[in-house]
Amino acid sequence: MSPIFELLATRWPEISVALWQHIYLSMGSVAFGILISVPLGIWLSSRDKTARMVLGVFGAVQTIPSLAFLGFVLPVLGIGTLPAMTVLFIYSVLPILRNTYTAIKEVNPALLEAGTGMGMTARELLFMVKLPMALPVIMSGIKISTVYIISWTTFSALIGAGGLGDLIYGGMNVYDLGLIVAGTIPAALLAILAGSILGRLERAVKPRGLR
Amino acid sequence: MIRFENVSKVYGAQAVVKNIDFQVAQGEFLVLIGPSGCGKTTTLKMINRLVEPSGGKILVGGRDIMQLDPVMLRREIGYVIQQIGLFPNMSIEENIDLVPRLLGWEKEKRAGRVRELLKLVDMDYDMYAGRYPNELSGGQQQRIGVLRALAAEPSIILMDEPFGALDPITRENLQDELKNLQNKLQKTIVFVTHDMDEAIKLADRIAIMRDGGIVQLASPETILRHPKDDFVVEFIGKHRVGSELATVESIMKSNPVIIGPDKGGAEALALMRRKGVDTLLVVDGEKKLLGVLSIEKLDREHKAVRLIKDVMDTNLPVVTAESSASEAFDLLIGQGLKYLPVVDEQNRLLGLVTRTSMVNALAGVVWGEEDGVESNF
Repeated sequence: MSPIFELLATRWPEISVALWQHIYLSMGSVAFGILISVPLGIWLSSRDKTARMVLGVFGAVQTIPSLAFLGFVLPVLGIGTLPAMTVLFIYSVLPILRNTYTAIKEVNPALLEAGTGMGMTARELLFMVKLPMALPVIMSGIKISTVYIISWTTFSALIGAGGLGDLIYGGMNVYDLGLIVAGTIPAALLAILAGSILGRLERAVKPRGLR
Repeated sequence: MIRFENVSKVYGAQAVVKNIDFQVAQGEFLVLIGPSGCGKTTTLKMINRLVEPSGGKILVGGRDIMQLDPVMLRREIGYVIQQIGLFPNMSIEENIDLVPRLLGWEKEKRAGRVRELLKLVDMDYDMYAGRYPNELSGGQQQRIGVLRALAAEPSIILMDEPFGALDPITRENLQDELKNLQNKLQKTIVFVTHDMDEAIKLADRIAIMRDGGIVQLASPETILRHPKDDFVVEFIGKHRVGSELATVESIMKSNPVIIGPDKGGAEALALMRRKGVDTLLVVDGEKKLLGVLSIEKLDREHKAVRLIKDVMDTNLPVVTAESSASEAFDLLIGQGLKYLPVVDEQNRLLGLVTRTSMVNALAGVVWGEEDGVESNF
């Protein structure tokens, strides 16, 4: 272990810059992903036809290899932070969208009937019943997105957006194993950390009556 | 309170409810019953506009419901569904005070109301208010379901097979509680079920439905005595006792041994010996029932007895001649009584139901010949 710590310590100036870029690229993309996917998922939950279409499109996009996707984006958006975040954002959408849509759809119809029958408006039903019931599943979608967007953010280095990928690709180019490890380990730790924090959050938002 | 005028509901080409007319009076308990697909639930749900009528008019408290905001209409009508539908993410208190919250009641008023409601079903506020639905039994959950419907003090409550998913014992208990609540609160209740026992037990009037129409709408007594057609006969099935429901009058003994209030103890004893009875009914000159004198009482206080009116028991349950035999039976067995005086509206003594007369009546139902059996006892 100690050689790795040593390595990380000596490379710390480069790592810290790359780590910060990595964090804001990934978190920024996921944040936008949440901002778009959650409302979209809610909106789609009452429109089955449109929902199938939209989910189909994002499902198809998801299958495009990220490297190829960067190739598509490059001519249009050029290089740098913006195209990188655009691609990551698009990838982040599907798990959150699908989970939001499914979780809202799967709220027990008896609850909706009771709520409506007691005089809740559609908005009250959404905020008092549907969302609280769906939140754990939505959070789990956010967790999945976050963890894999953190790992995919390494690709952003390829279009000059920086991040820990810089160290990894740099290391690969000059056969510097130390540099590769200096990029890989913080990226992996970041993903694990985010996964565990969001996993905790997922349990915390679970209504007490459902535990 | 609720009035259906020529109301129908059509889905595509299929008419689920066909031109029905009926009214529910203030404080009345109406049960809609029928086989599945008869339109009873649709009829119920049209009242709070969960289903919108395709034709006709529904008036609630004199107002055409199609002219009202459905959300406000629903908040003034209590609603209980079969699947209970408590919100698992809310505590018991939050479930109960949901509609008051939607209506913007003050916090203290809401808490007071929750306390008051839990008390109605003997559930302790401190023990239950903070719990969650999944920490309660099915029966407790549906009690909360009923309380939730009562919370904002609606005058109308709709119940859609509320006890259908409960086990038989719990169901009976909740029916009893609902009946007690109804006696206390006098709500207008429309209740859907497919269980005739439940209907007979709870209803002031029963509407028997079939294929989207009302076949018969009458009191349980009338339906059981005079079913309108073969469908009703078949539907009420086992509940139809011969051609009529036995009344107290048909099973009582009509010449009980009586004595005046101003007679003495010795005279009473002599009368008992002569007639071979151990109980005398004490009546005044107009045959009004004053009390009962038993031989045990007379024995115990023999020396002290001067006048019967000083030792008789005055606190005793009675029945009227028109009440059903089963009611008398419940009283006798339930309270461990030996006999039950039968009186008219003016409290004049008409007869006496004893355990023996009860057994004879039952034997008559079972073996079909009342006279032959009597001699065996």
